[in-house]
Amino acid sequence: MNYKSVVLAIGALTVACIGYTAAVRADETCNSPYISKLIKGQEDYVYVWALGVEGLGDGSDKLVTVDVNPKSKRYGKVVHSVSTGARAEAHHMGFTDDRRQIWAGGLSDNRIWVFDIATDPARPKLVRTIGDLGDKSGYLGPHTYYALPGRMLVQALSNAKDKGGVTGMALYNNKGKFIASYAMPTEGSGDGYGYDLAVNPKKNVLLTSSFTGYANYMRPLGELIKDGEAMKKFGNTMVLWDLKAIKPTKVLAVPGAPLEIRWSLNPKDNWAITAAALTSKLWLVKQDAKGEWIAKEVGTIGDPSKIPLPVDISITRNGKGLWVNTFMDGKTRYFDLSNPEAPKQTYEKATGTQVNMISQSWDGKRVYITSSLLANWDKGGADNEQFLRGFGWDGKELAQKFEVDFTKEKLGRAHHMKLGSNALRSAAAGK
Amino acid sequence: MSASRGIRRAARAIALLAALACAPISGAHQGEPLAEPDFIPPAPGTYTLHRIMAAPEGRVLGIDGRPQPLSRYMRDQITLLGFIYTTCTDPEGCPLAYRVFDALKEAIAASPSLHGKVRFVTLSFDPARDSPDVMRQYAGSRAVEKDGLRWYFLTTRSARELMPLVEGFGQDVRITFDRSGGRPRRELSHVLKVFLIDRVGDVREIYTSTFLYPRLVLNDIETLLMEEDRKRSRAPVKK
Repeated sequence: MNYKSVVLAIGALTVACIGYTAAVRADETCNSPYISKLIKGQEDYVYVWALGVEGLGDGSDKLVTVDVNPKSKRYGKVVHSVSTGARAEAHHMGFTDDRRQIWAGGLSDNRIWVFDIATDPARPKLVRTIGDLGDKSGYLGPHTYYALPGRMLVQALSNAKDKGGVTGMALYNNKGKFIASYAMPTEGSGDGYGYDLAVNPKKNVLLTSSFTGYANYMRPLGELIKDGEAMKKFGNTMVLWDLKAIKPTKVLAVPGAPLEIRWSLNPKDNWAITAAALTSKLWLVKQDAKGEWIAKEVGTIGDPSKIPLPVDISITRNGKGLWVNTFMDGKTRYFDLSNPEAPKQTYEKATGTQVNMISQSWDGKRVYITSSLLANWDKGGADNEQFLRGFGWDGKELAQKFEVDFTKEKLGRAHHMKLGSNALRSAAAGK
Repeated sequence: MSASRGIRRAARAIALLAALACAPISGAHQGEPLAEPDFIPPAPGTYTLHRIMAAPEGRVLGIDGRPQPLSRYMRDQITLLGFIYTTCTDPEGCPLAYRVFDALKEAIAASPSLHGKVRFVTLSFDPARDSPDVMRQYAGSRAVEKDGLRWYFLTTRSARELMPLVEGFGQDVRITFDRSGGRPRRELSHVLKVFLIDRVGDVREIYTSTFLYPRLVLNDIETLLMEEDRKRSRAPVKK
């Protein structure tokens, strides 16, 4: 072995031994508590899962890497994109518990694309396509990808049979092998609808929310809201499950399509918060004095009569603050959650003509916003901005630091985001 | 399940819980009393432990230094397997696993119906330091079969032989250096995972520190045994 080979071998060994942070109980504020690697400092990348647009670039859904380290020469620039070769209404994604892979899916499809992000965090690589969700579970439109130890729990939005909102969850192991499926409850007050899921292992609780089915979310929004019958087909429930057994234990009435679920990351807290899209209300899920789980309306977002349509929310690491994006008015609002029973809005800013997802760094000093909700729900004409915008947050003002124009870059519609770091590189990954 | 078998199972579960409540935490890995879950776990047999994956195969060394396939320690009994390294000091890491194993050992010892049905495996992911001799010292009297429970302390010959096992189980580990005490101290940073493996070598549950309660593990062992009972009762009788 020559000198160069020795150096390379040592380098590879060193790389194999770094890129890992110790056990944590939470990720950058909104991921599964089982995800083992936390970016507590400056993130290097934002991964954006983008919907393909016919006639724009290759027209396919793609995972786009944007450099967001201010010390980098490529700050605010796209450094990589990997196309799926399909246009399937790209929506959400999630890390495996070891944070070596991102699972991402589309709402018009049953496929799940698995990207290796550990071998080279700047250049994710498509390593697997899981295609048996429909055959194994009957569900359609995988939405949430939630890491459990060695497994991924996938919440779907619809079903392949009638494309309505009755759906369920599917469990896979990290190698992409289907394990089991779990139907959303339809008995009693259960409506069978699904959207997001999040767990609180301390209480052995899995919490799910509800949206609507393919037949609705794939229709143009302007057409949909005029269809009274179709508008009745939105979820009005959240469900508590026994996490260990993955069995439903209680259905909570939460009208108006409760979407993203955020458990407080404060170790002393045992409550979760969500925003109902159609009613523009904040709801708290907590235990009452008797230990019973309840859902309680605790706040209003904007003027509900104008249907601002709250979409994504992002909780601060101490559970004391909540960002809320409202799609229709393009506003980003900050709520003081010091008293989660009475959230108080302390800040708002128009951050785009349409805004959807919002993510923050662990320290809360950096906030990232994207624009796309659904291909057929996004606005038209000049209001159809498609971007990733990075902001600084000093506790008083959101200051825009960079923008990537996804239309100009021929990348598509910018939707979900996850953070990445060069420190998470692993030479052993992907093997 | 027949009524008599159900009664036996219930009696065993009650005996196990009583044993757990009384089990002292012994040995050199004592710490704060093990926490109890802040919830009522589902009863054994009321839930399914799915087959998550096949446990990986590889070569390991016992405390006698003899190489063996890891599968030798993961068949024909229910296996609880955890990775450790002997110099680990993270209270949420190896010491916690060790204390949970100790508590389970006491509980199983107090339940004769479990004797011969469960084994423990502690596998080092630090072959550079944890030789078979070091593992023998680490194990102390635990390596001796007692009350129907064998606890195996295993290591590997090299990182090359270890890596397929670490990768196969999905057990991340990396080397870090703690410089807080002046001299750099080499540590293996890892997320605690403990694996419950059935008699045919399939991983049926993966515990992290947030879910590693002896009561839950015992319930899971009971659940697997009940599953075996059900399979046996459905099997055709040989004439």
